[in-house]
Amino acid sequence: MSRKRVLIHVVAWSIALIWIIPYLGVFIASVRPYSEIVDGWWNLHPFTLTLDSYSAVWNHKTYPLKRAFVNSILIAIPATIIPILVASLAAYSFARFSFPVKDMLFLTIVALMSLPQQVVIIPVFFLMSDMGLINTRLGLILLHSSFGLPWIILFLRNFFMTLPVEVEEAARIDGASDFQVYFRIVMPMSLPALASIAALQFNWVWNDFFFALILLLSPDKYVVTQTIPMFIGRYLISWDKVAAASILDMSVPLVVFALLQKWYVKGVVGGVIKG
Amino acid sequence: MARVAVRNLTKKFGNVTAVNRLTLDVRDGEFVVLLGPSGCGKTTTLRCIAGLEAPDEGEIYIGDKLVNELPPKDRNIAMVFQSYALYPHMKVYDNIAFPLKMRKYPKSEIDRRVREVARLLKIEELLDRKPKQLSGGQQQRVALGRALVREPDVFLMDEPLSNLDAKLRVYMRAELKRLQRELKVTTIYVTHDQVEAMTMADRIAVMNNGVLQQYAEASEIYSRPSTVFVAGFIGSPPMNFIECTLVEEQGEAYLDAGAFRYKLSEEQAKLVREKASSSELLLGVRPEHITLHLKPVEEGIKGRVYVVEPLGAELIVNVKIGESILKVKTPVHGELKVDQEVWVSFNRDRVYIFDKRTEESII
Repeated sequence: MSRKRVLIHVVAWSIALIWIIPYLGVFIASVRPYSEIVDGWWNLHPFTLTLDSYSAVWNHKTYPLKRAFVNSILIAIPATIIPILVASLAAYSFARFSFPVKDMLFLTIVALMSLPQQVVIIPVFFLMSDMGLINTRLGLILLHSSFGLPWIILFLRNFFMTLPVEVEEAARIDGASDFQVYFRIVMPMSLPALASIAALQFNWVWNDFFFALILLLSPDKYVVTQTIPMFIGRYLISWDKVAAASILDMSVPLVVFALLQKWYVKGVVGGVIKG
Repeated sequence: MARVAVRNLTKKFGNVTAVNRLTLDVRDGEFVVLLGPSGCGKTTTLRCIAGLEAPDEGEIYIGDKLVNELPPKDRNIAMVFQSYALYPHMKVYDNIAFPLKMRKYPKSEIDRRVREVARLLKIEELLDRKPKQLSGGQQQRVALGRALVREPDVFLMDEPLSNLDAKLRVYMRAELKRLQRELKVTTIYVTHDQVEAMTMADRIAVMNNGVLQQYAEASEIYSRPSTVFVAGFIGSPPMNFIECTLVEEQGEAYLDAGAFRYKLSEEQAKLVREKASSSELLLGVRPEHITLHLKPVEEGIKGRVYVVEPLGAELIVNVKIGESILKVKTPVHGELKVDQEVWVSFNRDRVYIFDKRTEESII
């Protein structure tokens, strides 16, 4: 190995370690009793392996994490499917049809992406309140869906524009309607893009704390990210429980990513199917 | 099966007029080729007939039906694209079956027809593959199969052979022609390849800049080109054009090209006087209608060998006469050296004269 290569390896490993150490800390803290980690997870003597913290948070009396998991899943799945369905149809129109003010409309949608959540949360709160959607899963699902729309439209429109238009024209001549062209030809051809979007949007919704904090008020509706701070405790911080809950929380996006990784990489690289 | 009639078709893209008042009749069962360089409007015309573009003006009839307002799927046409446009996520079987599925044919009928077409095109063993796993020639057959399976009134083909290698192209050319004769489906075929056009078409429509130049049988397009463009586009190597002026001396008419004079016959002179808009003319003669002589001959024009291009049995000899270069197609002539003096004579019956200003044929 040349010196340059050695240097590259050293730098790469250092960066990787810097990234990994906090996760490692959380993981080690989650599998040891509180008494052992209270002075820092890096004190490895004594070392007792236990899953008590996991079962404690999973079956917690007031804030059971299993309930929060159900809540998170009930929100994240629809909040992934709905915006993809809606945005993909819109993106397809932007990519393939011409209609009045198309470019203006598209620019507006893209501009909307730059709005931070904190800026809009007050009007959104009043809107939700007027619609009776405060403290409902539906409210949060709709909010996440609408926040997902702009970037999904942008991403998919760009992707659709790279697809060979003759394939769609061939389908039209073969007797397909606009919707049939979309659902039978364009969507199957776009699976890599749709899978990457699903992975990103799902993880985005799963990891959200802010919207849930504002909109979900009763503990039985709390999502996972909202529940984790509840384990901090009033008089002492139960690091073991917080760590276990965090690991469980993280595991879901990791699994989603692992399942969709094959597609995800293709989609991000712009894996256009050869026509 | 049906006839196709295009009446005064005009299609503009922004400021560009892609097709300009095109009128074209295709008889039932006929094989018509739209021929022209890229950007001449041939593909736009085809797409208008298919319903993929809406004409700005004019009417399109398929059978006796005005189809301007009909979506592609209701025109009962089938189209083969240059890129084949196969559905990449479907197996060959499903690709071919797609038009029938969309029209809700019963399953057994779909299966019967797909297998019949696969047999006809010799792709039965490919039915379970995805398009990606096929060679270009195989993909092409699948695209044809998808077009054939529905038994459409009209076939539209947009340069279907141009992505194939030269050998396969020649083979598929013959196959396509045979298939079309067998099925007797009205076919409109777009290409920029004159050989394809000449060998396959019943009639050729030559287009340039969105305008139909000539619409006739291949032999007529070759032997009686109506404009300078058609004359120059058909034939390989293309026709030689020599700028010249009409000169009259002692009752005889000549074309004066500067380096030489070409004497017109009585008949030719009469036609030129009648039809020419000015004395500025173009003399056109195909390389195969020029004879090369190594010694002076009567009516021979002296020149020098500029370049010799051997083609095996034949030679293309570039002969420099004055400032212009004439291409001459000739059987192999012993040794021809660059700068050697040679004489050329034109086959009098095969000399064309065009009006330089209007670019229209006079003779």
